Amino acid sequence: QKINRPTGTSSIIVSARQKGNPVLTYIKNVPWEYGDIVPDYVVGKTACALFLSLKYHRLHPEYIYNRVKLLGHSYILRILLVMVDIENHQSPLLELSKTCHLNDLTLILSWTPAEAGRYLESYKSFENAAPTLIQEKPKADYTSRMIDVCTSVRSVSKKDAVSLVTTYGSVRAALNAEKEEIVLIQGWGEKKAERWEKAAREPFMVRK
Amino acid sequence: MSTTAPVKLSLPLAYQQDIFREIQEEDGIVIMARGLGVPRIITNLLHVYDAAGDNLVLIIGADERENKWIGDSLVEQAVISKGTKARGLSIVNTDAMTVGTRKKLYARGGIFSITSRILVVDMLTSLINPEIITGLVVLHAERVIATSLEAFIIRIFRQKNKDGFIKAFSDSPEPFATGFSPLATMMRNLFVQRSMLWPRFDITVSKSLEGKKPEVVELEVGMTESMREIQTAILECIEASISELRKTNSQHLELDDWTVDSALHKSFDVIIRRQLDPVWHRVGYKTRQIVSDLTQFRELLHSLLSEDCVDFNRGLENILATNTPKPGTTRQTQAPWLFLDAAHTIFTVAKRRVYTGDIGKGKEDAADGIPAGLVPRLEEQPKWAVLTEALQEIERDLYVNSMPMDTTNGVTLIMCSDEATCRQLREYLQHMNEQLSNERYDSDEEKSQDEGKASASIMLRRKLRSYLYWKKDSKKAFATLFSEQDKQLGPAEKRGLEFHCGRAPPNKRRRVRGGASAAAGPSRASGGAIVIPDDDSNHVAQLATSIQPNELEKCVKQEIVDDPMENMEDYYELFDLKDLVVVHPYDGENDEHLLEELRPRFVIMYEPEPAFVRRVEVYRSSHNERNIRVYFMTYCDSVEERRYLSAVRKEKDAFTKLIREKSTMAVTLTTDGHGVTDPQEQFLRTVNTRIAGGGRLIATADPPRVLVDVREFRSSLPSLIHGRNIVVVPVMLTVGDYILTPDICVERKSIKDLISSFKDGRLYNQCEVMFNHYKYPMLLIEFDQNKSFNLEPFADMSAGSTINNNDLQSKLVLLTIAFPKLRIIWSSSPYQTAEIFEELKKNLDEPDPAKATQAGLEEGEDAMNIYNQTPQDMLRAVPGITIRNYKDIMVQIENMMELANLEEAEINKIVGKEAGRQVHRFFNKDIYE
Repeated sequence: QKINRPTGTSSIIVSARQKGNPVLTYIKNVPWEYGDIVPDYVVGKTACALFLSLKYHRLHPEYIYNRVKLLGHSYILRILLVMVDIENHQSPLLELSKTCHLNDLTLILSWTPAEAGRYLESYKSFENAAPTLIQEKPKADYTSRMIDVCTSVRSVSKKDAVSLVTTYGSVRAALNAEKEEIVLIQGWGEKKAERWEKAAREPFMVRK
Repeated sequence: MSTTAPVKLSLPLAYQQDIFREIQEEDGIVIMARGLGVPRIITNLLHVYDAAGDNLVLIIGADERENKWIGDSLVEQAVISKGTKARGLSIVNTDAMTVGTRKKLYARGGIFSITSRILVVDMLTSLINPEIITGLVVLHAERVIATSLEAFIIRIFRQKNKDGFIKAFSDSPEPFATGFSPLATMMRNLFVQRSMLWPRFDITVSKSLEGKKPEVVELEVGMTESMREIQTAILECIEASISELRKTNSQHLELDDWTVDSALHKSFDVIIRRQLDPVWHRVGYKTRQIVSDLTQFRELLHSLLSEDCVDFNRGLENILATNTPKPGTTRQTQAPWLFLDAAHTIFTVAKRRVYTGDIGKGKEDAADGIPAGLVPRLEEQPKWAVLTEALQEIERDLYVNSMPMDTTNGVTLIMCSDEATCRQLREYLQHMNEQLSNERYDSDEEKSQDEGKASASIMLRRKLRSYLYWKKDSKKAFATLFSEQDKQLGPAEKRGLEFHCGRAPPNKRRRVRGGASAAAGPSRASGGAIVIPDDDSNHVAQLATSIQPNELEKCVKQEIVDDPMENMEDYYELFDLKDLVVVHPYDGENDEHLLEELRPRFVIMYEPEPAFVRRVEVYRSSHNERNIRVYFMTYCDSVEERRYLSAVRKEKDAFTKLIREKSTMAVTLTTDGHGVTDPQEQFLRTVNTRIAGGGRLIATADPPRVLVDVREFRSSLPSLIHGRNIVVVPVMLTVGDYILTPDICVERKSIKDLISSFKDGRLYNQCEVMFNHYKYPMLLIEFDQNKSFNLEPFADMSAGSTINNNDLQSKLVLLTIAFPKLRIIWSSSPYQTAEIFEELKKNLDEPDPAKATQAGLEEGEDAMNIYNQTPQDMLRAVPGITIRNYKDIMVQIENMMELANLEEAEINKIVGKEAGRQVHRFFNKDIYE
C-alpha cells in the first residue's frame, strides 16, 4: 500500500488567511502547517477546502465568490466547508447550493468549529482510504440477518422477529406460516400477521 | 322520510337526516363524534350520485375495510331503491391494474375509491381528467395535512375544476384541536368553506338518541391483589424511567406536570416521543432505549388486564430474553429498568400468579403432566367470574321468557378489544358452557359452582403445560440466537417438508373444531417431531407425558363459540340464533353491521369502548321494536377505566374548542388552487433567454418541469414542487429520484435513509450508476421539517481520540473522496428542497421523460416492471444476496415463500454456488439444532 501513497506531505496545509480561525484548534489528530496556497486548506494531493462561516458570509457576501474565482479549476475534490452559525440559514444555503453546482464544489456543512475540524482531519486521514467501508460487504451473523429480514416488514419489531422464528424453528417455516397460526404467537396481532403473510406471498414483481 | 332526494335513503334518525341535507347541499367538512355513524351518511350520499348515473365521484382516504362497507352498502341500497343506473363501487388500489384498464374504467364513470398514490400519478399524467370529475369525497379528513398526498390531490383537482364538489368527513375531532387555528388550516387544505360539527352533546343528536335508551348494567370488577401489585410496580418503573429521561434530556422535555397518575390515562410514551422528535437523531442510545421501554410498559399495563396469568408471564420472559445481553458485552446494552427493584417485583409476582416451586426439580406428575416440584397457582382473571355471572343471568332471563317480545334474535354478543382476548374468552367459555350443562342435569347448585371454578383451571393448566413445553424449547432457541458468535454450521441438514407444519405453536389445536381430544392429536405428533435425537430419553418421556390431557379435558366439547366473520352461513344452518353466544372484537364502523345482522338482545362489553356505546345507542334508537341490554365491565382504578374516561373527555374538549374556533373564524374565500403566481415571473418564463448557437431569442411556452420517480410520491416533496408552479411528471426511474434538467439527477435521502443506505452499500452503487448516466449527479440530504437541522455529533470528538471511521460524517467523507464530482445538497425541509430545485433548474433545458426512463435499464428490461417494496427489502437482507444478483431472483422467482422452499441446486442455478449455499442455509437453518 505504501507504494501507491502519493509523495505529498502527511500534514494538512493551511493558508495564512486562516490564522485565528477556531477550527484550527480542533485539528489535533493530524499535523498541520502553514503554507502558501490558494485555497484555505489542502487536505490531500488533489483535494482542497474553502472555509466559510455563514455569519461572515452575511456580512461579506462577495468574499466567497472571489475566493472561488481565484481557485479556478485546480484540484479534483473541491470542498466548500460551511459552518452553519446563524439561525436563518435557508436563503444563504440556497444560494451556496447553486454556487457549488456552477463551480464544481462539494458542499459540506458543519455546525461547530469542532465538527469542521474533524471533517478536515477525516479528509486528510482518509486521503488514500479505499471506499470499502461504504460498499456492499459480506453480511453479518445469522441472527442479525434474520432480524433484518423479518423487520423489513412494516411494524414487525425485533422482539416479534425472535418470537416468530423461535416458534417456527427456521425462517423457511416462518415464511410458510399462515396468518391463523401466527396470531397465536404472543405479541403478533391480526394486522401484523396479515402483513407478514402478505410479504411472504406477495410477488417480487408486478407482471403486466 | 323527509328528504327531497329522488332515491330511497336509509337514514332513520333526525340528526342523520340533518347532516345529510346539509352536506348534500353544500361543500364542507363534517366532523362527527365517534360512533354516530359516518358510514351511513357517506353511503347514502354516494348512493344519490350512484343512482343518478353519469357521475364520476372519487373517494379518497378510504382503507380496505371502508372500501368493503361502502361497496356492500351501495349494492344494498341500489337493490332497495331499484335504481337501474347504479353501478356500485369500483376500487383502484394496486399497481397491478394496468394504465389502459384504469383509463377505460375512469372513462366509464361511476363511484371510485382510489389509493392516493395512484390517483395523484393518474391526475398528473392526465390519465384521469380532473375536469370531468363530479366531485371528491374525502374520508378521514383529519389526515389531510398541508403536505399530504390527499391535499395535493385536492389542489390539482381545484386547479382544473372549479365546479366539482368536495365533501370531507371525519369522526375524530382530536387532531383538529391542536395547533394554531387547526380547523381553518384544515379547511384551507380541503378547499372548503363550511364546517359542520356534530358532537354527541348536540341537541338534535341527544334528542334522537335519548328517546329510547338501551338498558345498561354497569359491572365494576376489582383487580386481584397480585395484579394490583404488578400494576404498582410497572408504574414505579415508568416513574424511574421518566426521571432518568428528565436527567439526560431536561432541555428538550417539558414534564413539569408529570405525575404517575397521568401514566394511567395518557399515552405518555407518545407524548414524550413527540417532545423528543426534533432532536431524535441526536439523542443517545440510552434515551432511545428508555423511550422504547415506555412503550413496552404501556403494553404491559394493558396486557396485565387482558391476558391471562400464563400468557402474561410468558410475555415477560420474552422481554427478558430479548434484553439479555450477549455474553461478553457490557451491561450497558440491557434495558436499565431491568435493574430496578420494581422490575424484580413484576417478574416474581407474575410468576407467582402462575406457579410456585421450581420447574427443573422433581419428576413430573404422570397424572396431568405438570412437574411435581411445581405447585400451580393459576390465578384467574377476575372478569371471568363476572362474565360467568352475567351469562347465567342472561340464561335465566331467556329461560323465563323464551319467546322474545320483539324482533331481536336473543343472541348474546360479547365484545372485547382484540382477537387475542376473543380467543381467550372463547376458550374460557367452552369450559364454562360445559359447566352450565352440568348445572342443567345436576341440580346440586354448590357442586356446580365448584366445578365452575375447576373448569376454568382446565384451560389454564393446559396453557401452563404448553408454556412449560415452550420454555424447554425456547431456552435452546434463545441460546442459538443470542450466542456470542454464530457458529458456522455444517451443510444444513435437509428436512422434510412436513417439518414446517409441525412447528406450529403448541396451542394451535384450540382452533380446530370438534372434540378437544381429537384436535389435540396432530399437535402431539408434532410435539414428538421436534424432539431432537440426541436428547436424553428422560426429556422425551417428560414431553410425552406432559401433553397427556387429563380426564376433564377429554370430555370438553367444542361449543357454539367461534368467529362469526369466518363463515357466517354455518351459524344460520347449524344453530338456533336464540342460543348463540358470539365473541367479537371491536372493529370500528363494522360493528354497526354486526349489530344490524345479529340483532342481539344482550351485549356484554368485556372492555370499555366509547364509540361502541354510541353505536348501541344509535342502533337502539333506529329500531323501535328491538330491546337490548348492555353489560358494561371495567376494572376499577385501572388503566382501562381511566383511558375510557379520558377518551370521552378529550373528544368533548376537542369539540368545545372547535365550536369556539368556528364561531370566531374569519373565512377566506379562495377556491383557486394556484399558489401565488407572480405575473412577471410568468411572463419571463415564456421567453427563453438561453442563447443557443444562432443567438436568437426563442419564445417558448414550456413551463418548467421535473421528472419524479413514482415511488417518490410517498413523500411530500412532489406536492411541494408542484406548489411552486413546476410541472411534476411522474415516471418510472431506475436511476435517481428526481431529474431536474437533462444533466442533473438527484438522489434524495432522509437522514434515516442515508444511514441505512451507507450501511448496506446501496448509496455507493447508486452514485456509480448516476455517474454512468448523468453529468451532474446530486445527493440531496433532506432533514425533516420539524427536526433540528443538524447531524448527530461525531461519535467521540474529544481531543486525541483516533478518527472513528464508523460515524455518518466519516462515511460522507469517504463518499466524497470516492466521488469528488458528486454534488451535495443540504436541505432543512422539503419546503426548502423545492426552492433549491427551482433555483437549480432556472434557465436550463427541461428534462426528457423518455430518455430518463431508459437510463439504467438493461437490454430488454421493461421500464414498466414494478417491484413490490416489502418483499424486495426482505430479499435484500438475505445473506448471499447482493446488489448484483437480487434482480435475477426477482425476475425468476415469484415470491419470498417460493425462494425459501427452493432446493439448494435450484438457487445455485440463479445466483451461483457460493451465494446459493448461503441463501439456502439461511432459510433452512434450524435454530433448535
